[in-house]
Amino acid sequence: MTEMDPGVLVTIITIVVSGVGIVLGTAIPAIVEGRAVLKALEGMTRQPDVAGQLRTTLLISMALLESTAIYVLLILLVLIFANPLLDRFF
Amino acid sequence: MEDFFPHVVFTILGIPVRNTVVSTWVMMAVVLGLVIVLGRRRPIVLEMLVHFLNDTISDVMGRPAEPYLPFLGALAIFIAAANVIGVVPFVVSPTRGINTPLALALVVFFSVHYFGIRAKGVVGYFKELASPIFILPLEIVGQLSRTLSLTLRLFGNIVSTELIVAVIFALVPLFVPLPLVGFSMFTGLLQAYIFTSLAAVYIGAGLEAGESTPAKSQIKSSEERSKN
Repeated sequence: MTEMDPGVLVTIITIVVSGVGIVLGTAIPAIVEGRAVLKALEGMTRQPDVAGQLRTTLLISMALLESTAIYVLLILLVLIFANPLLDRFF
Repeated sequence: MEDFFPHVVFTILGIPVRNTVVSTWVMMAVVLGLVIVLGRRRPIVLEMLVHFLNDTISDVMGRPAEPYLPFLGALAIFIAAANVIGVVPFVVSPTRGINTPLALALVVFFSVHYFGIRAKGVVGYFKELASPIFILPLEIVGQLSRTLSLTLRLFGNIVSTELIVAVIFALVPLFVPLPLVGFSMFTGLLQAYIFTSLAAVYIGAGLEAGESTPAKSQIKSSEERSKN
């Protein structure tokens, strides 16, 4: 194999990791949020009296679950637009 | 893509001013003007807004929201206006830079302790914060990470939706981005609701730090019942 420029290698790894990372980092929180919505809807249909309370709790817990996907997105934005590893090679 | 992220517009006395700060000023002027005009012409609209905020925050906190309504309501109105004003051309959302969400989260961080100390006094509040002493490091880490997650949640949501709009706009500039603009406005309003609810939950938790004795006695009584 021919000698490869380390900057090119880092760029390729960044692109691959970004693709894989955004898929995993959005799919897993989406599945978990779906489970949360499912359970909350079951509770709402079973007991419509506390539907408002359940909705508030659901929105807050959805925000907490969603933030994991946001962390993945932020890390990937840093990797793509301001990669700190590229500066070591140039 | 460099235009997307906030950049320094001009400097005052050596302090760099970014375009997010300028748009914050524009937004404050718009909100203030709207409130003055509505207060003269249609005061009922403002009353409905205050009632809505009061009911929502009371629901979340589970207690009367009057002492906290000025702070939390101002937070909700500021974030909602800041997220929605990004739709206007040539005005960026103030929450697109990380500094505005960080400032808001720090205000929430200090207000939790302020309301806790006002309710129970300095000594009582810190005694309850560290009621078994080995809880204290966990409590400190929890407070800091909660502030960090408030910051990153607001920043990440606004940046991601506006980035999607920008990318679609670069691909197809005509009519296609419109539904996504609506989606970004909806996300902005939802994030304002979530930020305010979480601030209310944190303030409520700070107030309830020492009110855990009835819960403990309940657990004890249920344990006794299961033993019997």
